[in-house]
Amino acid sequence: MAELSESLIFVIEKQSKLLGRFGVECVIVGGVAAALHGAAIPTTDIDVCYARDQKNLERLATALQSVHARLRNAPEGLPFILDAETLKRGLNFTFVTDIGNLDLLGEVRGVGTYEHVVPGSSVVELFGYQFKVIAVGKLIDAKRAAGRPKDLIAIPELEAIQEAQTLQNIKPE
Amino acid sequence: MNREIEDYFLNPPPGSAAERAAAFGIDLTLTLQNLRLTPEERIRKLDDHIAGIAKMKATAKFLGRTEESRGRTQ
Repeated sequence: MAELSESLIFVIEKQSKLLGRFGVECVIVGGVAAALHGAAIPTTDIDVCYARDQKNLERLATALQSVHARLRNAPEGLPFILDAETLKRGLNFTFVTDIGNLDLLGEVRGVGTYEHVVPGSSVVELFGYQFKVIAVGKLIDAKRAAGRPKDLIAIPELEAIQEAQTLQNIKPE
Repeated sequence: MNREIEDYFLNPPPGSAAERAAAFGIDLTLTLQNLRLTPEERIRKLDDHIAGIAKMKATAKFLGRTEESRGRTQ
């Protein structure tokens, strides 16, 4: 999820409620995960890593259909059927929806798939739903693997937060 | 949040990640402020911050245009 025409809080609230209402198994990763852990570096990137089992793909497809999701930056007229089968054939998707842009990652570079991302994650409550948030250590791995300047400058603060968490198990909840 | 964590960010121990972050230019007092908030409050604060930047950009753009038009009329 990125590039916000509405305010960040509007998009996060709507998208959190959408994923929560349809029971989509997912983990918040990326810049918003950093903010949830306490990082002060501003971000508008909201990325979600989703589980790729059949049931979750069906839930996700239904959730996406309900907000008229379509591929972002896809050529006009490109045939695209939004169902579990299509999600299964792809991996990382960037959608535009009625509630803002939504980036769904089947795999987080530097960390792996949902099954690799989940261990060590924290659970936070957002807008009445509980969400998993990637562990700081794994977020650092992802930022390092992404390697862009905007990712790399986030690492020193995240490392400080990680060290503080080990001092006193500060979790974002 | 306990005193130990407050101290960690306000007086980073030598060789710590906090010390490296401070040397890198991170204002750890902002990080500490965030850690005192709930996750939802952190997102709301981030939203306010981004909205503030957007307003500044819009103002700068407006002032730039005003300067430009003033230059044309002189």
